[in-house]
Amino acid sequence: MSAVISASHLSKWYGNVLGLNDVSLEIEAGITGLLGPNGAGKSTFMKLVTGQMKPNIGFVTVRGRKAWNNPGIFQGIGFCPENDVFYEDMTGGEFVAGLLRFYGYARTEIRDRTARALDLVGLTADQDRLIRGYSRGMRQRIKFAQAVAHDPEIVILDEPLSGLDPLGKRKLIRLIKDFKSQGRTVLVSSHVLPEIEALTSQVVLIHQGKVLAQGDIPYIRDLIESHPHQISVRSGDPRALAARFVGDKSIQKMTFAADGRTLVVETHNRDAFFGRLTGVLLEAGLAVDEISSPDDNLQAVFEYLVGK
Amino acid sequence: MKATRAVREVFGFFGGLAWKTGKTRVFALLGLIPVALAVVVRIVLRGRTGDMVAVFTEILMVFFLQFYIVILTLFYGTSITAEETENRTLAYLTTRPVPKPAIILGKYAAYGLLMFAMVAASLIPSYFLLNAGRLGQPEVIKAFFVDLGVLGLGILAYSAFFTFLGTFLKRAIILGLIFGFGWENVIQYFPGSTQRFSVVHYLKSLLPYRPVTGGGGRGVALLLFRLEPTPPLLAVLALTAIAAVFLALACGLFRIKEYLYED
Repeated sequence: MSAVISASHLSKWYGNVLGLNDVSLEIEAGITGLLGPNGAGKSTFMKLVTGQMKPNIGFVTVRGRKAWNNPGIFQGIGFCPENDVFYEDMTGGEFVAGLLRFYGYARTEIRDRTARALDLVGLTADQDRLIRGYSRGMRQRIKFAQAVAHDPEIVILDEPLSGLDPLGKRKLIRLIKDFKSQGRTVLVSSHVLPEIEALTSQVVLIHQGKVLAQGDIPYIRDLIESHPHQISVRSGDPRALAARFVGDKSIQKMTFAADGRTLVVETHNRDAFFGRLTGVLLEAGLAVDEISSPDDNLQAVFEYLVGK
Repeated sequence: MKATRAVREVFGFFGGLAWKTGKTRVFALLGLIPVALAVVVRIVLRGRTGDMVAVFTEILMVFFLQFYIVILTLFYGTSITAEETENRTLAYLTTRPVPKPAIILGKYAAYGLLMFAMVAASLIPSYFLLNAGRLGQPEVIKAFFVDLGVLGLGILAYSAFFTFLGTFLKRAIILGLIFGFGWENVIQYFPGSTQRFSVVHYLKSLLPYRPVTGGGGRGVALLLFRLEPTPPLLAVLALTAIAAVFLALACGLFRIKEYLYED
């Protein structure tokens, strides 16, 4: 399959700060998740792909055409920026219709496409309200609507699920998956693995401006699961809880925190531990005040992967 | 999309949006000052036309020429690029199939029309209130259109300069204030060719010179003073050239420049 988006030795820096470092990537049709902690270089990559920035070294092409200063490519690209920014004095309908003007459509077509896009994201009833009055979820949805209203072949979504409630996330995930089934290319970024996991099995791990790994979810999962996770469970009787886990093979180490109420567990298999924990708590009739996973985040995983 | 069509579409997008902003409401209110002054003068100087009306008309021109259009063009001109980068909405425009210069030209046209409308909405009632008794005289009507035309040219030239400044610099307002209310107000009174380095020199050259004779007008005599006016045709050409050159520079710069957000 030929690459829709192709990056070759792409580097971008902001003064002394390295945004992207020698990234070579080929993105094919379907959904590709760009996964990395905040500041990893995901947005920089997307800005380079959408021609908002010029690479310092290397180049990026979309369907074989350079992205920088090439407005012609945008007839087939839809971009949803990360920032929660809008022309606040516009209504949702005006915003989508206004941006559709830039594609050269006739008025009737703009009206039809606007109606379709708003219907797609469930904002038809709110199209005449000013965007400044929209909730965070509505703002995310109208941002998505403007990105897809012109039926682009390639959709680039920078953290589209952030700020959405679970129901909103589910709806948007379904919409994005629909795009895939129509044979389009979707590049979506997130710093939350389960979000990407819900969307696609094709993932690019990016950290400190570099691509650490590229592959399908099981491969990334394996990488992540080989990293021991710390999980803290605060309860009235942490020792009783620990006793129940002594023989558990998924556990590598257990310690008690200084407060005397918290059991800190280290495990290679986070899912197995959580699966067992619920049953143990019910069996023992233990009340839990808090469960937290201090390094259950991508930052920790990435640090592990880069060998810190 | 063709460049001309793209300019038209950008104009349409911002033409509607610009009228709704808080900034427009504030500047429209500012435009009521001369109208209010004209009402006061009409009441105070009831029945006295002639010199005082002429002098006050000149004061209005000082307000419009050396304050209102400068402040309007400074804020709207610099904001053509700056508001997109400060509000981070630039991506909505630059990821569309429109040439980047069309964004500048379309916004320039939309904001230019808006400013002209605000100036006209302020000038028309104030001018006709002060000249209510002389509206039958053709020269009064002619002078009105000359004044309006000069202000229109001023908007074109200043806006282009401030558009360039806003495209070039991150914090263009400060430098714009220094230019608009410092440089322009000082350089125009320099003898010789130095005065020609100000926009207002060409604008004043186009206005009919009405020497201030009344007592009330002496205070503004300096502001109205013209050293060596440029011939009208040359002045129009100079203003058009200023607008064209700075717009071209702004478009060229916007096309090649990367706009990075603070973080």
